[in-house]
Amino acid sequence: MQLIERIPVYYRRQLGTLLGLLGLILIFWIMTPYFLTPSNLLNIARQTSINAIIAIGLTFVIIAGGIDLSVGSMLAFAGVVTAGALNLGIPILGSMIIGISVGFLCGAVNGVLIAWGHLPPFIATLGMMSIARGAALLFTGGRPISGFSVSFRFLAEGDFLSLPIPVYIMIGLYVVGHFVLTRTKIGRYAYAIGGNEEAAVLSGVPVKIYKLIIYGISGALSGIAAILLTARLNSAQPIAGIMYELDAIAAAVIGGTSLMGGEGLLIGTLIGALIMGVLRNGLNILGISSFIQQTIIGTVIILAVLIDMFLKRRKK
Amino acid sequence: MIGFKRITLFVLILFLIMLNVNCQRRRSVTEDRETVAFVMKTLNNPFFIDMQRGAEKAADSLRVKLIVQAAEREVDVEKQLQIIENLIQRRVSAICVTPSGSRELIAGVVKANLAKIPVLIVDTRIDVETLTESGGHFATFIGSDNVDGGRIAAKYIVERLNGNGNVAVLEGIPGHETGDARLKGFWEAINENPRIRVVASQTANWERDQGYNVFQNMLQANPQIDALFACNDMMALGAMEAIAAAGKTGDILVVGFDAVSDARKAIERGQMAASVAQHPYEMGFVAVKKAVEIIREKKVPKEIPITIELITREKM
Amino acid sequence: MLNEYLLEMHHINKIYPGVVALDDVSFKLKAGMVHVLLGENGAGKSTLIKIISGATLKSQGLIILDNEEVDILNPREALDLGVATIYQELNLVPQLTVAENIYLGREPVTKSGLIDQKRMMQDVTEILNSLGANIPPESKVSSLGIARQQMVEIAKAISIQMKILILDEPTSALSHHEIEQLFSVIRKLKENGIGIIYISHRLEEIFEIGDCVTVLRDGKVMGNFPVESVKLSELIRLMADREVHDHFPKQEAKPGAEILQVEHISRKGILHDISFSLHKGEILGISGLMGSGRTELARVLFGVEKADTGTIFLNKKEVRIDSPREAIQNRIAYLSEDRKVQGLILKMSLENNISLPGIKGITVIGIIRKEAEHRLAGRYVNELHIKATGLDQLAESLSGGNQQKVVIAKWLVCQSDIFIFDEPTRGIDVAAKVEIYHLMNQLTARGAAIIMISSELPEIMGMSDRILVISYGRIAGEFLPKYCSQENLLECALGVDHAVN
Repeated sequence: MQLIERIPVYYRRQLGTLLGLLGLILIFWIMTPYFLTPSNLLNIARQTSINAIIAIGLTFVIIAGGIDLSVGSMLAFAGVVTAGALNLGIPILGSMIIGISVGFLCGAVNGVLIAWGHLPPFIATLGMMSIARGAALLFTGGRPISGFSVSFRFLAEGDFLSLPIPVYIMIGLYVVGHFVLTRTKIGRYAYAIGGNEEAAVLSGVPVKIYKLIIYGISGALSGIAAILLTARLNSAQPIAGIMYELDAIAAAVIGGTSLMGGEGLLIGTLIGALIMGVLRNGLNILGISSFIQQTIIGTVIILAVLIDMFLKRRKK
Repeated sequence: MIGFKRITLFVLILFLIMLNVNCQRRRSVTEDRETVAFVMKTLNNPFFIDMQRGAEKAADSLRVKLIVQAAEREVDVEKQLQIIENLIQRRVSAICVTPSGSRELIAGVVKANLAKIPVLIVDTRIDVETLTESGGHFATFIGSDNVDGGRIAAKYIVERLNGNGNVAVLEGIPGHETGDARLKGFWEAINENPRIRVVASQTANWERDQGYNVFQNMLQANPQIDALFACNDMMALGAMEAIAAAGKTGDILVVGFDAVSDARKAIERGQMAASVAQHPYEMGFVAVKKAVEIIREKKVPKEIPITIELITREKM
Repeated sequence: MLNEYLLEMHHINKIYPGVVALDDVSFKLKAGMVHVLLGENGAGKSTLIKIISGATLKSQGLIILDNEEVDILNPREALDLGVATIYQELNLVPQLTVAENIYLGREPVTKSGLIDQKRMMQDVTEILNSLGANIPPESKVSSLGIARQQMVEIAKAISIQMKILILDEPTSALSHHEIEQLFSVIRKLKENGIGIIYISHRLEEIFEIGDCVTVLRDGKVMGNFPVESVKLSELIRLMADREVHDHFPKQEAKPGAEILQVEHISRKGILHDISFSLHKGEILGISGLMGSGRTELARVLFGVEKADTGTIFLNKKEVRIDSPREAIQNRIAYLSEDRKVQGLILKMSLENNISLPGIKGITVIGIIRKEAEHRLAGRYVNELHIKATGLDQLAESLSGGNQQKVVIAKWLVCQSDIFIFDEPTRGIDVAAKVEIYHLMNQLTARGAAIIMISSELPEIMGMSDRILVISYGRIAGEFLPKYCSQENLLECALGVDHAVN
């Protein structure tokens, strides 16, 4: 088809995902009048934002040939540290910087273990998953830290020009992320390392340092997500973020990021995150039992990956 | 280029048409029936399943539509918040909720307030101070006095141990008002008896398998334990399996909370000594009943206590 | 009438796209004989073996095994027909025991369906004893040395009652004593009527254990001889002597100042005391057999691997090269043997591949200047005549020749002074090869220096200014193309004693 040829090769896969999203929206629109309202759509955007932000970091990591299972725990740890800082009276901006830095540091530790320690990413981040969780629990003695200023909570609950602030943050981060991925050295090296690490080494790419940076980015983004979640719930829980890594990985994978590395685009991840957000929202509104919800979401993830593999095989 | 622009334009117009149609649809949809939404902490616990059955009975007899939703895990506060937001979109007539986080859900309550949907809090209290600070309110609280429950459990243990012995405690998720209240009552009563020593007190996060592991470790560290108080039955049941594995069934007095049917069976068989019954079925029933009353503009009391009683073998 | 030949291959052709690997090859194996296949790298020995062992299919020709015409479609069928192959990379599972490996997939079972350990052990012990091998059947394969692992493979072949045994370079990793053991086993097998096809380039062995020898060159059979009546020099002549084609566009360049000096590079077991120098504008050819250490030398020069001892001087200054990055900073370029695995990132566009090593040059505060990248890639696509549908075409969909050009372009971007080409024209059609030779001329004309590692003797002879031969990790000789022949190079590589030019 002529139209398809107009779209650059890289973006074609995402077109399929987009069609999937539009199809879902269509289905829910037909099934209930409560779905396609402006306020519900904004709802979805707000609800998706946290997972979508984490998924940015995960997309980078997966493109670079790795995986990060610790994002949920890093989120919890960064969140409680931010809360602690706020309670100490440190101004909002300062506390946010501290939280994001904590996230970056945890991610950097992952990077060191993987690049210099030669640990498989699965194992290293699995370990960090426990360590960060433990750190969060230790930091707070197991209890959530709650009660923050209105201005802090505005980050998550506020609107600007009738759009929720988290949506601006999410879109902003995606724009920046897309730019970094496609037009900077970091992005280029991520694709190179994930595409063929050996060839990258032989081309002089400083693989170790960039792995550290990329895992650090994943941690930092978890930190940003932590700030939004804390503002939203008005509480930083050490048990927050459990299983968030799965949703983030699902978003990336549905969006066309290959788990083998070297391929993927952030626009796809955004669509993937939206697909999951739309699914959950639609099923809630339809009143479908939570058990069935879980099954449906799992099925969608498997279908997305199967279609992806099928398309790849046809290309060959 | 032309083809691309046309199609995007087409999709956008289609989208706007859909939105418009939807608006008309919604206006024409009268509330065919009043809809009560019930948001539980989780459906993975027989306690809440009992509550659901009670709610369904009330909904049936009052001829209202009931939607029951829950997050997958009790720890997932954010999902519960999302469910509430989605139900608000659904324009339900009232929302009953058992909060997974006493402070974290306040944002949800406030949103429901803004949408003029009455909120009933069930089973676990919400933090009233913080709620009022945020400008929120709720219609009524339906639940048991968990402090009293803890006290009753403690008194029973003291009596059975003749005022002398070692006691272990399995706590719920820290920061959950339910668990905190039960502990508070328990400790108040225990502290009146100096010769009862609490040798271990840790959280098993309301979950059965964690109850097993944590108590097994407690047994290792403290070979002489005379009684165990678990803040809910799931943890107690897990601990009982650990006791059986250690060959100490019958040597340790186990007291749970919630009196779910598995616990009742265990009490009958003599494996468990007692459990504090909360009557979740009644809670669910009364919640929906009161919700309908509120929808029909009748006044309801600000607090509706559901009786609590200690279930032992003799009482059965 | 009973045929005395176990295996007959008649007029076998094997054609790959663009390359004729075997051209009208006929070959006969007698029972109880050791038949040696001799030839340089790329002569077609491996291809012939792959056809017999079922790893690949013949394009044309007839195979007769045990008086019956057969079509060996896959390795399983080859085994069923009694053809066992032992490759250089042994096919054993290290974590399993000797007995388990020998019976892998064919474990004897008791009536109740469990593995009959006792019978397995008994059978295995018998076989091992018959070979005179002193290996406990319950030992883990990973605990055995290469020689004994090889024995296990042979035992495995015996246990399937093979008729034909193929040995591919069996002695490359063995000590003298172990080689003797292997030979005594081979003699025993001969007595049992098993036919053995033996591939090796160690000429002494051929005369010690071989009964007949077939020489292959460029996919053709050059001759079949009984070992007793053939002369060494004759064999070498047949292996190497070719018409030197005129399509080597070598330009006479005057080598300039010394740019690289390598002294006493050693790496235990692989390289021994390598020293040489390289001059601007010079093409230094490095010849030698596979496994002689040429690629390892290249990798040491490029910082991928570390040498145990030795120093490298660039422009008379000592340098340390500990990583490819440092090599690149020192303007050294390395085009590896296997461009798909090591040279290119197949999923990335050709433009992105070209810009990768030199990306710092088009980056401003971390941001890549896309227009600069386009211009750069476009320039080299034109200069090198890279045929592609666009700068954004993925590397994996380019032809071999164009892929190699992309790899070269990468290094041109970096303005390297020293290029190490490892098998630069392998797997490339003739037209593209010529273009690459022209490129090499351009590079040297500009003053760059090239180290060219190649297994194609004509290429080495045609393009080099000087030739080093590496044999068993040592520099065995230095030659000037004008004053030597292909046989000289081959003899040197084989380790035959000859005066060094």
